[in-house]
Order: sequence, then C-alpha cells, then structure tokens
Amino acid sequence: MDVSLLVAQSMSGLSRGMMLFLIASGLSLIFGVMNILNFAHASLWLVGAYFCYSFWHLMQNHGFGMWVSIPLAALVLAAIGWVIEVVLIRRVYERELPEQLLLTYAMVLILGDLIKLTWGVEDKIIVRPPLVDGPVFFYGIPFDSYFIFVISIGFFVAIGLWWFLKKTKYGHIVRAAVFSREMVSALGIPIPRIYTGVFVLGIFIAGLAGAVQAPVGSITLGMDMDMAIVVQAFCVVVIGGFGSLLGTLVGSIIVGEVYAFSILFWPQGALVLIFIVTAVILIVRPWGLFGTPMRV
Amino acid sequence: MEILTKRYWWLGLVFIGALVLPLVVGEFWVHVAIEILILGLFAVSFNMIFGNMGQLSFGHAAYYGVGAYATGLLMVRASVPLPICLAASMVAAGICALILGYFCVRLTGIYFAILTLAFGQLLYYIIFQWYSFTRGDDGLQGIIPPGALFSATYYYYFTLFIVTGALIAMWYVNESPFGYTMRAIRENADRTRFIGINVRRYMLINFVVAGMFAGRNWHQSGIPVFMTVIGGPLGFFGPMIGSIIYTFLMAFVTGFTEYWPLTIGLVIMFVVLFLPGGVLGLVEQKMKVFRSRDLETRGDRSAETGSS
Repeated sequence: MDVSLLVAQSMSGLSRGMMLFLIASGLSLIFGVMNILNFAHASLWLVGAYFCYSFWHLMQNHGFGMWVSIPLAALVLAAIGWVIEVVLIRRVYERELPEQLLLTYAMVLILGDLIKLTWGVEDKIIVRPPLVDGPVFFYGIPFDSYFIFVISIGFFVAIGLWWFLKKTKYGHIVRAAVFSREMVSALGIPIPRIYTGVFVLGIFIAGLAGAVQAPVGSITLGMDMDMAIVVQAFCVVVIGGFGSLLGTLVGSIIVGEVYAFSILFWPQGALVLIFIVTAVILIVRPWGLFGTPMRV
Repeated sequence: MEILTKRYWWLGLVFIGALVLPLVVGEFWVHVAIEILILGLFAVSFNMIFGNMGQLSFGHAAYYGVGAYATGLLMVRASVPLPICLAASMVAAGICALILGYFCVRLTGIYFAILTLAFGQLLYYIIFQWYSFTRGDDGLQGIIPPGALFSATYYYYFTLFIVTGALIAMWYVNESPFGYTMRAIRENADRTRFIGINVRRYMLINFVVAGMFAGRNWHQSGIPVFMTVIGGPLGFFGPMIGSIIYTFLMAFVTGFTEYWPLTIGLVIMFVVLFLPGGVLGLVEQKMKVFRSRDLETRGDRSAETGSS
C-alpha cells in the first residue's frame, strides 16, 4: 500500500464527506430551528440531481450546460421546498414528534414514486465538461478534478452558512429562534416566516448538493438511495451534534473518511462501522461532539 | 368485568367470524387473512412501544427479522420441531430487545427514534452480509412446515391460534398495573419518577415484552408504523384494524398499479393531517357524539357510559 493510494482515498472520503455536509447542514438547520426532522431531505436531494440532469439534457450541446443546470436545479428545489413548507409542514408545527416524522416519511414514499413516474427507472448520466473531467496532479499524485469541485462547493457553503448565521441580522434572528422561539416571537418577529425561510434555505442547499452530485456517477433510485443517504445524514448530525454547524462539518468528514477507508479494508463493513460509531455517540454523548447537552 | 364483557361483546363476533372465514372465501383471501393476522400482531406489538411509551421505534422490524431467522435457522440447520422453534424465536427476539433496549431507553424523542433506526439498520446489514450463516440476500430456502400446515386453511387456523393467544397475553399485560404504569410514563415521565417508579426499568421491560411478541412471527420498518397510524395508536385493537385496512388496500391497489408507495404515502399524509386518531379515533369520536346525544335524551346513565 503506497502513500498515493492513501492520499487518493482520503480525498475521495473528503469529497463524500462534503457531499454529506451539504445534505446534513440543511437537515440540522431545519431541525435546530423548526424542531422537525425531515426524512424527505435526501429524497429532495435526489430530485435536485434529476432536475440537474433534465436541464443539462436540454442544453447538452453547449459547453456551459452543466454550470447553468446546477444553480437552476437548486433554485427549482428552493421553490419546491417553499411549496412543501407552506402546504404541508406548516400544518404540523404544533403536532407531536411522531406525527411530524410520519408526514416527512410519507413524503419519502411519494417523492420516490414521483421520481419513477417523471424520470423512469433507468440510470441517468451527465457528461462532465472538460474543465472538471479527468485527473489533476499534485506532486505527481492524481486527483479526480470533480472531487475537488465538490469539496470546494462544500467549503463555500460552509463558509457562507457560517457568515450568514454569525454576521447577518437574519442569521442572528435564526440563531435566536433556535434558543427561544417565544422570545423571538415576543420581539415582534414573525416566526412562521423565519420557519419558511429556514426550510427553503435547507432544501436549496439539498438541491444544490443533489445537482452537484449528479455528474459524479449515474443518478439512480436503486439501492434505496434516498433512505440510505438520509440515514447517513442523520448519523452525521448525531455525531456532530444537532444545531452545531462546525459539528456537522466535522461529523461529515468523519463519516466520509470512515466510509472511504473501510471500503479499502473491509468493504461490507463500511455502513456497519458508521452505525456503530453513531450508536456509541448516542449512548455516551447524545448531544454529539460539538453540541451542547440538553435535557433528555 | 361486567362492563368489560358489555363493551367488548363484539370481539366474540369477530372471533367467530375469523373461525368461519376459510369456509366462505377462496384460497387467495385465506392467504390475505394470514398476512393480516401476522402483520397485525406485529403492529400491535409495535404499538406497545408507540402507544404505551409514546416513543417511535424504527427498529421494530429487527425483532420480527430476528424471530423469523431464529425459526428458519433452527428448522433448516438443526431440524428442530416447529413449536420449539417458535418458543426459541420469542426468546431470541426478547434477548435482542433486552440488549438494544438497555441502550435505547436512556433516550427519548428524536434520539430514541434515530438510535432504534441505527440499530435496525445495523442488524439488517449484519444479516444480509453474514452470508455463510444466513445466506444473505438469497434468503433462507427450504423451510418446510410440518405436513398439515401445507394447506392454506390449516395454516390459517394455526396462525389464528398463535395470534389470538399472543393478543390475549398482550391484552393482560396492557390492563395490568404494569400497563397503567407505562401509560403514566407516557403522559408524564417526571411525575411518574417522583412517585418512586424506575422509569428506565419499566421502559426496558416494556421494550423486551414488545420485542418478544414481534419475534413470534423481514419487512420494511415502516409497515407496523403505517398500520398503527391508520388504525389508531390509542386503542389496543387499532393496529389490528390498521392491518386489515392496509393489507386489503395493498392487495387491491397492487392489482393494477406498481405505485404502491405513492398510494400509501398519500394515505399516511391524509391520516396525519386530517385524521390524527386514525380510523379508531374517528369511530370513537363519532360514538362519543352519539353517546352524548343519547345522554341528553335520557339524562341518567352517565355513570356507565361517561368514561372512555
């Protein structure tokens, strides 16, 4: 086993981790602010990937096709997120947790079949533009250039979210709403509008992630992709701690790297290992690595 | 006891109906009925955690799987007779629930749901990848039931016998002081703790009992959840009613479309948004309206019918 293989593997793990970060950060934000665990998050991520494919398919004769399709798909998903929030999620704010989980779980089933109806079951493949196709070399070690694109998108979103939450007025309101929504409401800030905004932002990031994921390999519904990915995103959020952006980032990188390296040494055990890590964290430190302890 | 027999006289009718069912319907519907019974028992046992404890367990299919695999492996590999296999599968599922429950009852709400989900997935991957022992995704072939059970009718009566026995046992657990303690924990864990009850121990026992009854009988973890929600989580028989509706709907819908998840997803969405108590909740609400009208006209029978 030589160094270049290890480096290449850790890059692939990092790229996988950043993809999980894009999904898990929206999930964690929505849960932190609205207290709703969105099972359908990865389904919407997949819808984002399919929309990216459709836009690219329309423009495939142009070199800029993929670069335009990715933001377009993310915007479409933001619109879908808005509709879902206003029509469905808003009705269950005051309900109990299991009912909220069931509603989003029902969305997983519905979206899965809607994807089948709209795009069919065969795999979709996007041809990458030359800029991000093929390897680039650092010190003679080859890196998949698309992985570098995924990783940089992940870091941009992480920095963007951090800036939004820490430096802008709206970010301050969102963080205050995590802490005490009664107080925020008492100050005359309309809570439903904050909720809608947060949900749309979360789904926008998920849609962006899906669109960016689309050209990595083929897009497919097989292997229960939607559920498999959302469960991994849960693991990330649990490991990092609900409501902590840094925790989500670290958790994503841990899960991505664990996955990448166990594929190398113990292929069948990759997911098993992630679930064991998650279970152990939940048992000894349920608030995660970077979260703050709450009343259990 | 008198009130009990008065309120639940219809159960006798249902049981008699279940007894004569194979005599009046064709073999296909007998198979549907077997499915209803088995999945219904699974859903009722799931509801011991959901309804009694107020916690959503996503790993319940794990016990169902452990129970099924324990029976299957014992029969295929050790040729153990069926009744012993069934008892062993209950013990296996119970032990499994004891180990997982020990950790799960430390958490509540969202964390409970995620931990049970993680454990469920863990067991799923272990069973599907431990090829030499469980034959992985090929499944266990060659489970031969004793001769008499080959006939759908006999198998139906066998299932009915087992399911009825398990339901009666669970009913007694539910109506015992233990069952009331569990519901007290659901309503307010802190207050229950104050009167000197070890909440975690009770939750663990409940978890194990529920796991054992699920083990009696690999499906998607969603099924018992759907059945319970459709039928109504607050009544003991809600999940059974849910099982009847779910299985019939599935037999009907899959006849002409492959988009079953879309259908059940829309049904669940409708129930969550507009029918929070499930079908049983709706029926009880209507009965309450009916009864209160009854009370208004007669005026003096509040002692007997007032509580529900």
